[in-house]
Amino acid sequence: MKVMCILCLILPVLLLLPGTSPAVSLSGESNTYMQSRQAADGTKELPFYEYLNLSVRDIGKETISFQFGGWLRYDLKDNTQETGQSRSANDLSYAYLSYYSKTANTTVNLGRVMVFEGVAADRLDGIYARTDLAKNFGVSAFGGTPVETGTDSEGSNSIYGARVSHQVPGLYQIGLSYLKQERNSEEVRKEEGIDLWLRPIDKVELMGKSRYNAITSEWSDHNYVLALGPFYRVRLNTLLSSVNYKDYFTASTTAVFKFDPGVIDPNEKVQTLGEQVSYDVNEKLNISALYKSYSYDIAGDATYYTGSLRYAVGKSWGTGGSIGRMAGDVERLKYKEYRVYGYGKFGKADATLDYLLVNYDEAINSVRAAFSVTLAAAYELTEKLKIGADLEYSKNPDFDKDVRTFLKLIYNFDFVQGKKGGV
Amino acid sequence: MKSKSIKIAFLLLFLALTAVLFACAHTQSMAAKHPMEVTGFPICSDCHTDGRAAMNHTNDFSMRHKFYAAQSKQTCTVCHAEAFCSDCHAHKEELKPSDKYKDSPERSLPHRGDYLNQHKIDGRINPASCFPCHGRQNNERCKTCHR
Repeated sequence: MKVMCILCLILPVLLLLPGTSPAVSLSGESNTYMQSRQAADGTKELPFYEYLNLSVRDIGKETISFQFGGWLRYDLKDNTQETGQSRSANDLSYAYLSYYSKTANTTVNLGRVMVFEGVAADRLDGIYARTDLAKNFGVSAFGGTPVETGTDSEGSNSIYGARVSHQVPGLYQIGLSYLKQERNSEEVRKEEGIDLWLRPIDKVELMGKSRYNAITSEWSDHNYVLALGPFYRVRLNTLLSSVNYKDYFTASTTAVFKFDPGVIDPNEKVQTLGEQVSYDVNEKLNISALYKSYSYDIAGDATYYTGSLRYAVGKSWGTGGSIGRMAGDVERLKYKEYRVYGYGKFGKADATLDYLLVNYDEAINSVRAAFSVTLAAAYELTEKLKIGADLEYSKNPDFDKDVRTFLKLIYNFDFVQGKKGGV
Repeated sequence: MKSKSIKIAFLLLFLALTAVLFACAHTQSMAAKHPMEVTGFPICSDCHTDGRAAMNHTNDFSMRHKFYAAQSKQTCTVCHAEAFCSDCHAHKEELKPSDKYKDSPERSLPHRGDYLNQHKIDGRINPASCFPCHGRQNNERCKTCHR
């Protein structure tokens, strides 16, 4: 229903545009997939997917465009009797009409839009607008109906917010943002935030965000990174974050984040300190290490560390691998992970081999080692059309032997009015 | 009543100030599309000297990309189509990004391999890392078990 509303809103605008410019272009990608897989209850599934994204640019006075992305699925094997679920599904990821001015980066998006700005990381059916202002100020605002799961019910569902920013290009940008959401006429989110990017001197960057929950009157989370380098091909990232669970996990649409009843205390607080070191040995080889320490107010502390290596020879071939360790405070929260992969391009064909092993310290369903090995291959039929097939074999606590196949057909299209397009 | 009047007065003042600043803004917009094709992992600082120079797509970029996107998404869209973001940041998704792009093992894609069991541990250690993507959307599969 919502999808129809969006299309009803956008299509008339497209049709009423005062004549299209001769340079109007249509580009995008069609990804057709067919997967063979087995559900945990042993049911065989054979879903067929079509993912389509397209962009119509330079409509009207060359400042209007239309963006669309969505997918649909139809299960070629009828399991409706066993599962009671529909054979088909679909989703509209985004669909909006966009105006982008030639001055001041003024943007107005109308339709299903993803707003990722300040405290907002939300998808909504509505409007988003932003513009630069004089004196290096900037402002943005959005409003509409939130696009979530399982909240379609009577009453008002609305979300709106704004952000004001100031910057000195290359030196800093600071933003203040606000968001309010109502679900079924009840106020479920009221958030205020401050975001910062600062580069006081060359090779030093500080960035992050703090969010205040105005309903509980507490800071919900702080998340900052200090990036240093490169110093003789070495880059350092220091991560610092703090999350206050009862103020952060609000308005969830799944019970898992309500922690009630659950194994996680809803009053928990966690502080994370991490350090990542990345070293480019040369243009082809990179070595990196990451360490994270989790300190909880209630639960026992945990650490995660990993080391990885990546070697790439342009686009022709490459290889890499990693070793990691998650160490929670009890055996069942510990595992080691190992990964090695390689890929190569041979003319119009390419191939990939990927092996991943996870060793759980405490067996799950009497299984401690879970691994998967994947072989993927693809061939470019033409410059715009590619076919591929993946084969994945795995063994894990849920499957003694799991074989999955994945077939894909990828078609890129780019059509400019007045020019011949297609494959 | 008085509080409401103050709020309305503040809002009107803010809108008036914004309108004045907008009228005085004469900056040239960024190109809607990058003037030359960029492939692989670009080193933006090879050409740019302003804030965009910080966006070098080095190996450690993926951990910082959310901060850049939250402040300057229009910079991202010069090179990336919306679909590039929605591949991972989806509303409702049945295929893991790492399943769709098995031929790109070098990319930092979430949930490779047997993540169904691994998530029981990662979710306990740091549930805040799950929440941005699965808290209010893209959680149909979560609900299969977490009712």
